[in-house]
Amino acid sequence: MDYDYSIDHKKRLSAVQDKMQELEIPVLLGSRLRTISYVGDVFCPWRSFIIIPQTEEPIIYTFVIDAERVRDDSWLDDVRGFGPLGGGHQIDVIADAVSEYLPNSGERRVGVEHGMSCYLPEGNLTAEEFRMLKDALPGVEFVQSIDIIDELSMKKDKGTINRFRKASDIVDIGHTAVLEQFEVGMSETEIAGIAEAAMRKAGSEWSWSFTGGNEIASGYRTSYPMGACTPATRRKTASGEPLMVDLHAMFMLGLGDHSHNYLLSPVSDRQRELADYFIETITEVIHMYGPGMTPGKMADDMMDWAEAKGIAQYLVPGFEHGIGVMGDEWRIGMNTGPMTYWTDPDHVYEPDHLLICAMQFMVPEDEVGFRYEAPILITKSGCEVLAKTQLKVTEL
Amino acid sequence: MSGNHAYLSQEWMTAVIDLVKQSLTAEEMKHVSSSMVNIVENCPDGKRHYMYFRFEDGLLAEGLVGTDDDEVASKTPEFRIIGDYDTFAKISQAELGARSALMRNKIKLKGNMVKALRLSSVVDKLNKIIAQVPTDY
Repeated sequence: MDYDYSIDHKKRLSAVQDKMQELEIPVLLGSRLRTISYVGDVFCPWRSFIIIPQTEEPIIYTFVIDAERVRDDSWLDDVRGFGPLGGGHQIDVIADAVSEYLPNSGERRVGVEHGMSCYLPEGNLTAEEFRMLKDALPGVEFVQSIDIIDELSMKKDKGTINRFRKASDIVDIGHTAVLEQFEVGMSETEIAGIAEAAMRKAGSEWSWSFTGGNEIASGYRTSYPMGACTPATRRKTASGEPLMVDLHAMFMLGLGDHSHNYLLSPVSDRQRELADYFIETITEVIHMYGPGMTPGKMADDMMDWAEAKGIAQYLVPGFEHGIGVMGDEWRIGMNTGPMTYWTDPDHVYEPDHLLICAMQFMVPEDEVGFRYEAPILITKSGCEVLAKTQLKVTEL
Repeated sequence: MSGNHAYLSQEWMTAVIDLVKQSLTAEEMKHVSSSMVNIVENCPDGKRHYMYFRFEDGLLAEGLVGTDDDEVASKTPEFRIIGDYDTFAKISQAELGARSALMRNKIKLKGNMVKALRLSSVVDKLNKIIAQVPTDY
């Protein structure tokens, strides 16, 4: 099924520039992948920068080998390359371009994106880039500006939501392919490949997650304590074991991320009991998402609920991670929490916020684990799970 | 007198223009339309010199030399290439390739790097012709 994927790029840019005006920032130097994805609507896998002046259209700078492709894919016309050639060093070209938008006198302020993240490809300005920029632009005041994009990108517009919806449809196709083609004895990498082929055929641009693309875990690997990162290995699946299939698809920078769990027969009573707990827990979590909920309240309420059930020890005490267009993963909310650059536990969900509902249920002593991940759209009255693969532990 | 032209003099540029027009066809120059100025610093006379070329559909349409006081200094070409006299002298004698000089940060390019790299082979052809002009450096 196709949807309306259009995005009003100019409106988005105007909102960024209005914010820059309010903050008296003549030019914003975006270095984060999420900023380039959000403003340029283009995938930039190499180190890239976007220079956003207060009144004119932005310029994207990327590694010269990819500049023409980025220009072709982006709505922005001005895409330039940098590289290891005299005059072409990234700091030289960026400093030159930024200078063009700075006043000759008065306040010479440049917005930059400082930060830290457990998400490796975030793209915060590095210390060395910052040092060299300061040398190249003497007298310039650099202003931390991550809040501009983080705030504006919090609520997703219709086109973005539909891109996530399509990416979830594609992930559902990947799960169907695994279900149809799986045979006990296949390796985890084979399973990842089955899903990948089906999702590519359905239009996925790549299995975007830096955690190893499509994550597959079998047997004891499903149950690492607190473990929620399982790049597929050559381990072969075996009868009587659990199998976790966590698929990722990308569609026009919208991200699909959904896991489905299996028990490979013969299934023990204990495995079935744990599977039932897992499904009951997820059902409760999804029921609780809606406007007004916060990550902190969700964790507190759910851990209380799990404690009452006697299963709290099987859960990671966190039930979501942030999501946005490519490059925007992990942190939920603004950088306003008590732990700098981590999710704000008091971030209040509102309609049109997107998140990945994520739950890791692990029982190492039984070598059984299940993972749930699915994009959740907060609606006016609750939430919509974008991935439609049935919520159950499938017995094969 | 050697009969050679002084590097970066008007006579030298006239000889360069004549030789380029005789030697380079529009096909060889890939019908390129572009312009560049080489800004030559640390010259023996203490001045900054300029060397400007403009091609239209692969044919040399304009070639100028001069200093800060001349028309050439006010040109706004597609590419500006900045380097020392010694480096440009080597390039003009075909002892050093322009691409090699760029990679070693001996000259600095201002302009669209993607297009510049695509044009580097035609610039090499131009420099090989320039190298044939009898020149005193």
